[in-house]
Amino acid sequence: MSNKVTYTSQDHLITSQNKAEKAFLAEFEKKEYTLEDPLVVENPYLINPLCALVMFKTDSAVTATITVKGKRFAREDLNHTFQAATTHILPILGLYAEFANTVVISLADGSKKEITIQTAAIPADVCKCTSISTSADYLQDNFMFLTPAGKNQPTAYDYKGDIRWFLTENTMFDIKRAANGNILTGSSRFCRMPYNATGLVELNMLGKINKEYRLPGNYHHDQFEMEDGNLLILTQDFHRDTCEDMCVLVDRNTGEILKSWDYKTFLPQDVAGSGSQDAHDWFHNNAVWYDKPTHSITLSGRHQDAIVNINYDTGKLNWIVGDPEGWPQEMVDKYFFTPVGDLENFDWQYEQHAALITPEGDVMCFDNGQYRAKKKENYIPNQENFSRGVRYRIDTEKMEIEQIWQYGKERGQEFFSAYICNVEYYADGHYMVHSGGIGMENGYASDKLGAFLKPNDPAAEIRSVTVEEKDGIVRYEMETEGNFYRAEKLTIYHDGDNATFEPGQLIGKLDVTPEFDTLPDVEAVDEQPDTWHNIIIEEDEDRFVFHGKFEPGTMVMLCLEGEKQSHQYFVNTSAVFHLAMCSGAFLEEDDRDVKMNISKEGLKGKLAIKLIINDKKYDTGIAVFCP
Amino acid sequence: MIQEINTEEYEGMGQTGPMMVEFYSKKCGPCKMLAFVLKDIDKLKPDFKIFTIDFDENQALKERLGVTGFPTMLLMKDGTEANRLKGLQQKPAIIKAIEEIM
Repeated sequence: MSNKVTYTSQDHLITSQNKAEKAFLAEFEKKEYTLEDPLVVENPYLINPLCALVMFKTDSAVTATITVKGKRFAREDLNHTFQAATTHILPILGLYAEFANTVVISLADGSKKEITIQTAAIPADVCKCTSISTSADYLQDNFMFLTPAGKNQPTAYDYKGDIRWFLTENTMFDIKRAANGNILTGSSRFCRMPYNATGLVELNMLGKINKEYRLPGNYHHDQFEMEDGNLLILTQDFHRDTCEDMCVLVDRNTGEILKSWDYKTFLPQDVAGSGSQDAHDWFHNNAVWYDKPTHSITLSGRHQDAIVNINYDTGKLNWIVGDPEGWPQEMVDKYFFTPVGDLENFDWQYEQHAALITPEGDVMCFDNGQYRAKKKENYIPNQENFSRGVRYRIDTEKMEIEQIWQYGKERGQEFFSAYICNVEYYADGHYMVHSGGIGMENGYASDKLGAFLKPNDPAAEIRSVTVEEKDGIVRYEMETEGNFYRAEKLTIYHDGDNATFEPGQLIGKLDVTPEFDTLPDVEAVDEQPDTWHNIIIEEDEDRFVFHGKFEPGTMVMLCLEGEKQSHQYFVNTSAVFHLAMCSGAFLEEDDRDVKMNISKEGLKGKLAIKLIINDKKYDTGIAVFCP
Repeated sequence: MIQEINTEEYEGMGQTGPMMVEFYSKKCGPCKMLAFVLKDIDKLKPDFKIFTIDFDENQALKERLGVTGFPTMLLMKDGTEANRLKGLQQKPAIIKAIEEIM
């Protein structure tokens, strides 16, 4: 049989990182590394080319301060002091790309060592900053971290727009700093179209994944760390016919699901749909926020133009912020707010993202404004539309709402993002508004989502604009290439453990991939599928991903055949039109290219992979082993 | 019993009792798979009438019946639509829908 099928097998990134860590720690023990002659490990966790570890020992416990020298002058230096120790394993973060970086290590006893770390150029798929207006005084030692909305990379920019951090793994959706200083963001591992990743990852700035929290319903959009460390994560149940309508509370240590909220229990699914709604993705939950003073959860539902607040314990609806048109009157009377104050400038939010509750109890979100109406005949074209950050004050006794701040309406279509984006609240009067989904065609806001625009099309512009306003004055504005899901301003070092050396863990579990119960009666042939189909099987520790190219309308079924068990999965080859594409990371250039994730959960033993294509069953010649 | 029919045959046939009318397209992978599912169901329920109609070649009929995509299964009783299943479905869901009109 000639080899017409490509098979790859790879460790989970956590396993690769654990091996790499073990290797450099072993190397460190091989000899007495000193300040004068330290061990320098560049990109120690394989996915962050702009970092290193410097390792050495001292006779007595001393504090060590590292200085990553600025490109231009001392004002740009990054400094961090580590706790006193005799063994020093110091993360060097925020290196400049394609640059001979000077790093100074100073010990409390006065000794010093200067080293040079030469970094490589930024890969082409990392989006550059195209303009920035701010100051070092304003941004201090913060970087602006942007998470990708496509095949670009998570990237952080300094006050000059220089890239100081990026990951070569396409982690996605929200990014937030956890209480321990690590960051929480979506896994880069594809699970289901259009953008469901296997789970949530907790990683440090070196790129080391401490944990991946796998979920049976996968991860999408957002998460929130509770005070006790447990995690609220947005998910769904793929064994029913709707999506993006569940939230779970996950144990931080074990990955076990402790509690779940099903939005179908408190919201009708067939009312008040936004312009992007369909029966499957009826709510499109893109944000979750826990508010301690009211012990409630706030959920943003793009496809109902609604920000919904529920009681944490009972899951009962408290209130809904949104245009009441199209909702049942009894719900309008009970849960919706009446606008008050400056009604001339009041606007409801439509297809919003990143809803949050401020310490004052106000509601903020990024109001994308897509369609900006409930009825089709009133939809506003993108070219005449606007997006903005908005803050509403709500009175839950009187059920009144007042718009007390907005930024972006005045900028019109050039700041318009039909999808993604976020706002951040820093203090009263101090906010970030990230319009990360700007897509223009021929100079006008496109009717397509940015994820569907072709970056190489000269008529298309895809960009991201992040603004910070303080007391009514714009103090920061950065524009980058590409679309970015969210922005988060963070220091690259923090006061906790910036590097830890316990092995990373893969916890929680994926679901059993739903099977198809009918096996077509077709001719089995002792052949591999034609090369044109470009069949690729990528095996991972807990799943495998099947890739193939098929003309729409081809009947395809993936069959796993073992001695004791067999399984079959229908592969859909129909062209699918997506009304939402918050991350295009898994989108294929050619819509004949399909991929399917098969979890190893529920599978056992050695299983041969066969493939039915229309009227024949082919043998791929590949087998997977499921422990 | 599974029988392929066209608009004329649909109009001309008696529509008493329960039956299924499935709109399919030759360009549709899920429709091809559904054909095998319906074959299995036919073995389990040989007395139940299943008619298949080509979506692309029976434009007026599909519009009259409000069928906008394929595959679409109309569960009919005495000439009146009782239920509709859209997209590829597994056997239990189809059998349940059939039993509801039997």
